[in-house]
Amino acid sequence: MLSRALRRLGASTLVLWGVVTLAFVINFALPGDAARILAGPQARPADVARIREKLGLDQPLLVQYRRFLGRLLHGGPSSLNPRDEAHGSCTALGPIHVDLGVSYQQRKPVLVLLASRLPASLLLASAALLVQLLLGILAGTLAAVRKGSILDHGVVSLTLLGVSTPTFFLGLGLQYLLAYRLRWLPFDGYGTTWPERLRSVILPALTLGFFGAAYYTRLVRDEVLGQLRQDYARTALAKGASRLRVLVVHVLRNTLLPLLTVVGLDFGALLGGAIVTEKLFRWPGLGQLSVDAVVERDGPVILGTVLLASSAVILANLLVDLSYALLDPRSRSP
Amino acid sequence: MVLSLALAVLVGCDVPVAGPLGVPGNPGAPPQRGGWLQVASYTHVRTLDPAIAFDEVANSIEHFLFAKLLDFSPDGQGFVPDLAENWEVSDDQLRVVFHLRRGVRFHDGVEVLASDVKRSLERALHPDTPCPVSSFYERITGYRDFVQRRASSLSGVKVEGDYTLVIELSEPDSTLLSVLALPTAAPVCRSAGAVYDREFTSHPCGAGPFRFHSWEPGRYIRMERFEGYYQPGRPYLDGIEYAFNVPTFTQRFKFEDGLLDHIRELGEADLARYLASPAWHGLGAWEPARAIHSLFMNTEIPPFDSRPFRKAIAAAIQREQLAMVRPGSVRPASRILPPAIPGHDPSPGQRYDLALALDLMREAGFPYDPVTGRGGYPRELTYVAISDSFDVEAAQILQQHLARIGVRFRIRAQGWPAHLAETSRRRTVAFGSDGWAADFPDPSDFFEPLFSSKAISEEESQNRAFYRNPRLDALLEEARREPSQERRLALYHQAEDMVLDDAPWAVLYSKRWFELWHPYLRGYRIHPARSGDLAFTWIDLQARTAVQGARWAPPLSRGQLALWIRPGGKH
Repeated sequence: MLSRALRRLGASTLVLWGVVTLAFVINFALPGDAARILAGPQARPADVARIREKLGLDQPLLVQYRRFLGRLLHGGPSSLNPRDEAHGSCTALGPIHVDLGVSYQQRKPVLVLLASRLPASLLLASAALLVQLLLGILAGTLAAVRKGSILDHGVVSLTLLGVSTPTFFLGLGLQYLLAYRLRWLPFDGYGTTWPERLRSVILPALTLGFFGAAYYTRLVRDEVLGQLRQDYARTALAKGASRLRVLVVHVLRNTLLPLLTVVGLDFGALLGGAIVTEKLFRWPGLGQLSVDAVVERDGPVILGTVLLASSAVILANLLVDLSYALLDPRSRSP
Repeated sequence: MVLSLALAVLVGCDVPVAGPLGVPGNPGAPPQRGGWLQVASYTHVRTLDPAIAFDEVANSIEHFLFAKLLDFSPDGQGFVPDLAENWEVSDDQLRVVFHLRRGVRFHDGVEVLASDVKRSLERALHPDTPCPVSSFYERITGYRDFVQRRASSLSGVKVEGDYTLVIELSEPDSTLLSVLALPTAAPVCRSAGAVYDREFTSHPCGAGPFRFHSWEPGRYIRMERFEGYYQPGRPYLDGIEYAFNVPTFTQRFKFEDGLLDHIRELGEADLARYLASPAWHGLGAWEPARAIHSLFMNTEIPPFDSRPFRKAIAAAIQREQLAMVRPGSVRPASRILPPAIPGHDPSPGQRYDLALALDLMREAGFPYDPVTGRGGYPRELTYVAISDSFDVEAAQILQQHLARIGVRFRIRAQGWPAHLAETSRRRTVAFGSDGWAADFPDPSDFFEPLFSSKAISEEESQNRAFYRNPRLDALLEEARREPSQERRLALYHQAEDMVLDDAPWAVLYSKRWFELWHPYLRGYRIHPARSGDLAFTWIDLQARTAVQGARWAPPLSRGQLALWIRPGGKH
């Protein structure tokens, strides 16, 4: 188990390095740069050149890449001074420093920006996942046990609509209905207290969760139907167990295994990929930060968000893999 | 649920606009103090340090936080005193003496002295500060030595006592007052330091009518009234909350709900609804256009190296048709200077004349017969446009216009960083969309970067048509040195005619914005030089409280719930 985890960790590190390097090269190769964007479309060439030099963007690709890697992990003092030129944007883990640089556009350390956005993204991803799971498991199970009924057809049709409804369309509809017409929920924002945040997260979580819920419903429906046809389910029913008991205790438990794999992938993706939803609801998460960074060609932030999002996906998959081994005895064999 | 939501969105998209909140009050009523103003933008600000922030939203916020030596006059044609009570310009135009007000305080309570103005200007222009408009100040004596680290201070900025500041120039520059009225040159508190420091942006400190309260990057900034502001009794508002990243669709709903007091970024469909609504008749106003949009033609690349060919393109465009796509916000334009800029001439410049365009095509060596469709330019050209902008729609219309004279092209849309990088590189792009928004209200800000040969370079050319005309260069230089505003404008008029006749640009349209505000917001007047000049507005608190009471009425009853879809019934 431990060696498996270590092997996966090693492979994950290589994947991370590959992803970040690719992002670095693409950002370098695209025409236009952060200096031009920082200066604005009308800036005089001399001003753009001065900013480019100041940001180090006039250096060749390899020099910039070497500087980025050298800064990413290095040694230094345990206590940090934000005005220290060499270590002002570092986070110290004892004598080891992690430094993703300073945002070209916002002029703040990237780690500070990421840390300020992570809680909002975690809250939204968790709430959206909760919506997906609750709706998906409930609707999928109901459709499966009422297979062929109007309810089943209704659920299947709704899931089709759910996966094909663009997020912005659903988000605008929910905002119009629940915030503008009924005034039950705030239009947007993140709030400043926890009760405000919990109210604020409902609209984006519903928007984000509805698409996933449609997919989960189909998954759960098919899986429950498959499990109900298995010998163990028929045996339990023949032995006199109630249909509800067989469904909840036996069938749903086995259905959760494939669902777990998808949940792991989704959580990682939701963490950094809720771009439209975050934009629509002004949710201060990583998705909005990353899309702004791409638009503004803010290299350090692009690399920081890529690194974080990739790490989240890899970590979630690693945890799913490991939990799979715990939950499903068949996967423990070498 | 999805169907009902879809319906809700469709109905929402077509719902008539709600009426204004409150009723217009007595125009002569004395201003009231109190209340927070709420405004929003779909974009956000990256920094609030005036030395490096130069986008439109940041600029409008900086006007709340920072006072300057002088400001643009309300008609945009001249200047009014701000921190400087008055100023004198020497006869040779090389020396300007500013006399500062006494007793003006920064937000931290320290008095603003002439040395603070010098320190702040040196901070903005320091080689370690990534100031995007540093070169606006290049004619100040000692600028080059300072930015190239050969001198530790700007020798041309001299402090003569606590309240007198002298600025000396290496050559006459009629734009000096304009660039000193920009936030870049605004005095900042001593805590800002001698050079740019990224910590300053988290607690910006100046001498403007509002002081910094709080900022959540990407979400909002709050500014509260500065009680020590030098104009007694002003400002009237308790504070201003500026929300960021608010989509235009949401802005409209928030505005109608009274969660925003003023709105500027209306979608085209909503704009049309407000303009057509009788309830809003006479409320709101158009900003005079400060930007001009065009089609540039690279004079170094065939076939645009031919003057008759360029003139044929300019004559083949029906500008009114472009404006029909966006009625109201897009105005046909045939001259370079937009309406908000001194020297704007409303008379026609480049005119649509199909017969003339066909003659010019013949003169250029590409005769075209519109009946048979034979002739014209033999190859398909590529037109570059900025994606997600009106440029692309305009280009589609231009395709039809130019096809009438035998010029065919395909459109390549790209993001603006890529667009700028490609079009400003020499001998790279033949033609495409171009445009310019005023950095400050002066004709030089248009002609010098866009058409002077000084603005041509191999990689970073602002003159994207790569247009060279020694006579124009001489005229622009003369205009820059000319002390009389009247004579300057006449020189720029000559320059405009010269450029229009050579046609490195086919001028297309100007774009303007419509601003709306609820009648309980009083004292607002659109400033031609900048948007959202709301610092000295006031709120009729009684009127606003009444509509806020209505806004926060209890949630709808079951009966009302069944009728929630009824459009336009909220107010």
